[in-house]
Amino acid sequence: MSEVIGPQASLWSCGRIQLRVIGALMLREMGTRFGRDNLGYVWLFLEPMLLGGAIGALHQLSGHALPGGLEPFVFWVIGYIPFYLFRGIVNRAPVGIVGNQSLLYHRRITVFDIMLSRHLLEGAAVGIALAFYIALFGATVDVWPVETAKMVLGMVLMLGLAHGIALLIAAGSVYTELFDRITHLATYLSMGLTGAFFMVFWLPSDMQRAVLTIPTVHCFELVRNGLYGNQVPTHYDVPYVVAWIAALNLLGMAALRKARRHLIV
Amino acid sequence: MIRLHDVHKSYPTHFGPKEVLRGVDITFMPGEKVGILGRNGAGKSTLLRLIAGVEHPNRGRVERRMSVSWPLGFAGAMHYSISGADNARFLARIYDKPIKETVEFVENFADLGHYFRMPVRTYSSGMTVRLGFSLSLAVQFDCYLVDEAIAVGDSRFAERARAALADLNARASLLLVSHQAETVRAFCKTAAILEDGRLIRYDDLDQAIAAYQAA
Repeated sequence: MSEVIGPQASLWSCGRIQLRVIGALMLREMGTRFGRDNLGYVWLFLEPMLLGGAIGALHQLSGHALPGGLEPFVFWVIGYIPFYLFRGIVNRAPVGIVGNQSLLYHRRITVFDIMLSRHLLEGAAVGIALAFYIALFGATVDVWPVETAKMVLGMVLMLGLAHGIALLIAAGSVYTELFDRITHLATYLSMGLTGAFFMVFWLPSDMQRAVLTIPTVHCFELVRNGLYGNQVPTHYDVPYVVAWIAALNLLGMAALRKARRHLIV
Repeated sequence: MIRLHDVHKSYPTHFGPKEVLRGVDITFMPGEKVGILGRNGAGKSTLLRLIAGVEHPNRGRVERRMSVSWPLGFAGAMHYSISGADNARFLARIYDKPIKETVEFVENFADLGHYFRMPVRTYSSGMTVRLGFSLSLAVQFDCYLVDEAIAVGDSRFAERARAALADLNARASLLLVSHQAETVRAFCKTAAILEDGRLIRYDDLDQAIAAYQAA
């Protein structure tokens, strides 16, 4: 009866429990966020798809040409969808714990599990939306990804960055409501800086160096490189982004661990 | 076994920290059925939350050497936007129990009728307690932490809950918090009194109840 619940559990069985918990949390999150009514789970990826499509269509219709002869619709969609992933995760972080506190009645469920499961679900949703558009681009304007793996890597790195930042915000939100008030503002204001809507090669070289200190810029460039290949020059440094992800996640996990002790459920 | 070592807990308030527990030391052995008596606001629920690991002590340590339920009788531990059946499925996944059997058990024990397939937010408070208690029985813990909310009431369910608690085999422990001596007498073999942030254990139930009522 007590074989796996007690503190004697080995690292292996802890890992199994954590995977089980994260899987169950993802299923539950789907149920609570989208329900079984009308389109239900379809909203999961329909939402980013509609937003990305609308932004892309607006820019296509506005008729501005892009450097490098890129198709505006394609460019804006593959910029907006990774940004949607980043913003969705970060904006939801301040309420991540408060909205799920009742889960903490179950000792097996950690705050980290709650956050990670939400982010993986978000990643899957946005991934499906992006896959849809890639197929659409291929079918309509014959733009096929040159290296799909690089697009996937770009998205995964974006997920890692957003996850780390979200952990820090969630931990901070245990102590103060400030994060809840300013996170939306901050993500809105930083929209232009994330690199979603410009390419590094458009900029003068000293500006290029400056924007390349921003880790998300590399993710967008990586996604573009995966789609366009050498059609346009891209700038990215994967180890640099990985270092950011490692730092943000380690700090985030440490902060969350401390915050959990002060959390009033 | 559950052991509390010098457990302190305070909550921040506008008037400075409010100390609820100030050094609780106690050991609960497997199979023990202990009542914890305390007045309203004595810190009974806080004590259960710390034992369950829902919250953490400011100082001291809680050692658990058996599986411990979540505190039963509170509203927590459930999801309001999903149905009782979905809650059962969720907990079966979390605690690695067969899903179909768990759902069937909870459906039969909680006896919620068609409400079992409706969102928990549509339940009355009594129905929520029934669901929570049935869920915890389905998971099967070594030690059940029970708030008096479950034991009170005159419904058919209170009788079944009483029978289920009495039926817990010799291995299962019960920690029941209550402000009523009669409730503790009905379920427990020994008792402790929570007063001024400290827990005093009595080996003899009658002695504990006499001391509680004298205070």
